[in-house]
Amino acid sequence: MSEPLMQVSGLVSGYGDVQVLWGMELAVQAGEICCIVGSNGAGKSTLLRTISGLVAARGGSVRFAGRELAGATPAQVLQAGIAHVPEGRRLFRGLTVRDNLLLGAYHRTGATRAEIDDDLGQIYDSFPILKERRNQDATTLSGGEQQMCAIGRGIMSRPTLLMIDELSLGLAPLAVEKLCDSLRAINRGGLSILVVEQDVLTAFELAQHAFVVETGRVTVSGSCAELARNPQVRQAYMGI
Amino acid sequence: MFLDPQILANGLMLGALYACIAVGFSLVWGVLNVINMMHGSLIILSGYLTFFAWLHLKVNPFLMLLVVSPVLFAFGYALQYGLINRVVSRPVLTTLTLTFGLDMILYNLMNVVFEATPRRIILDLGSLSVGDVVLPNDRLFAMFLALGLTLLLFWVMRSSRAGRAIVAVRMDRDAAALMGIPIRQVYAMTFAIGALMAGACGVLLAITFPVTTNISGLLLGKAFVVCVIGGLGSVPGALVGGLALGLIESYTGTWWGPQTAVLLGFVLMIVLLMTRPTGLLGKAGYE
Ligand SMILES: Nc1ncnc2c1ncn2[C@@H]1O[C@H](COP(=O)(O)OP(=O)(O)O)[C@@H](O)[C@H]1O
Ligand SMILES: [Mg+2]
Repeated sequence: MSEPLMQVSGLVSGYGDVQVLWGMELAVQAGEICCIVGSNGAGKSTLLRTISGLVAARGGSVRFAGRELAGATPAQVLQAGIAHVPEGRRLFRGLTVRDNLLLGAYHRTGATRAEIDDDLGQIYDSFPILKERRNQDATTLSGGEQQMCAIGRGIMSRPTLLMIDELSLGLAPLAVEKLCDSLRAINRGGLSILVVEQDVLTAFELAQHAFVVETGRVTVSGSCAELARNPQVRQAYMGI
Repeated sequence: MFLDPQILANGLMLGALYACIAVGFSLVWGVLNVINMMHGSLIILSGYLTFFAWLHLKVNPFLMLLVVSPVLFAFGYALQYGLINRVVSRPVLTTLTLTFGLDMILYNLMNVVFEATPRRIILDLGSLSVGDVVLPNDRLFAMFLALGLTLLLFWVMRSSRAGRAIVAVRMDRDAAALMGIPIRQVYAMTFAIGALMAGACGVLLAITFPVTTNISGLLLGKAFVVCVIGGLGSVPGALVGGLALGLIESYTGTWWGPQTAVLLGFVLMIVLLMTRPTGLLGKAGYE
């Protein structure tokens, strides 16, 4: 197998005196959709926050496209090609859908107006409802629409890897289905995706590879098909 | 009595200046959660710069807008980036104490260097008479410039990349960081814009009123009152609050004398704080 797009090894981090990640190991291959599953408080969000530089890494490494990103600032991580769609969407209140999307492209100082408009058009093609609602305060959208906007905002940075924290949390099943379809289409366009998802069935249906996280470590990993047959995983996370 | 156009005109001219004074203060408070106790002194400093440039160098005070504003912008940027940023995430009392201390230094320096005697620029631009209403041209120009600057700031916050970044940082700092927005630079830029607005107000003040260090505390008080009336952290809030305060002072001043007018402003602030702490237009509150 060729070198993975992102290789996380021995990653350690936490908040103050509390250590949360205890040597994380995971790899994302270019072009695939990976998922991270695990119970509440396992450290999934902390992992994403450490990768994107919001939380400082205390040890270990994040190799991404031939560069070391552990210890980089959020701006540097974004520049390197990783976008992070945070848990709870975190859209900017008081700004329109369009302004929220444009903020995704904030760091692209070299891009022309036409390029940005072009990318905006592509987001609107993927999520037509956003075009309709483009002049509306983004936080007045429905949950599913907000997730589309947050994902669109992430894509506006032109990443090679898109990390999404809690894709389906709080959303109606129909909205989740739509989002998954859109993500598959976006993935076919060449974008690699790492998604944190508490609903294991949804996660395994969307992704090719899965990592199970327990108390700050990856305990099981493999192809989703494999993991869906694993009795431990079935019992702990699928209730079967 | 309510419709006396002269009182109305005076109120609007004063109110526009108040709006301009408050808008920078409100921005810094809303975005950084820093109560900039230096705001009044920065206005006075700019007023003195304008006065002495006029007195000694014969510089037209209106032109000083183009000089003082960038100088104050640079000063504000350096101050925030080098000093206030170090404590910006501490509780609001820490930053308040810091800016209070800085204000004491600036205020006393000005007293030593400029002396407290009121300094007045005399321009003799004449006045405009509409019916019975007399509008001094210097105040009229100052009013339009104050409104223009306030609207310009509104436009910058609404439509520019920097403005979007400032709003984003205000609303959600972590999410803003994920957009690659450099938080510390945005803080510095925000404080710098606040200082720039104070600078511009100082110039307009020097054109229309005597400049003296004695009123720096009063100006700061006005900024507080306007923010409470209009709501914190938004340009329209400051505009509405400023015009409201100007009109209130103009009417009460004519009816019951200027001392009562100033007092009433502060009474109104206290009443609003108790009944409607988000201000007339406010949504965000004092987070
Ligand atoms: N800002 C924070 N400060 C302190 N502890 C935190 C913070 N955020 C999360 N934690 C703790 O870190 C652990 C992992 O949290 P998190 O990464 O959010 O888990 P998950 O996303 O898997 O539900 C939890 O025990 C949580 O209480
Ligand atoms: Mg989480």
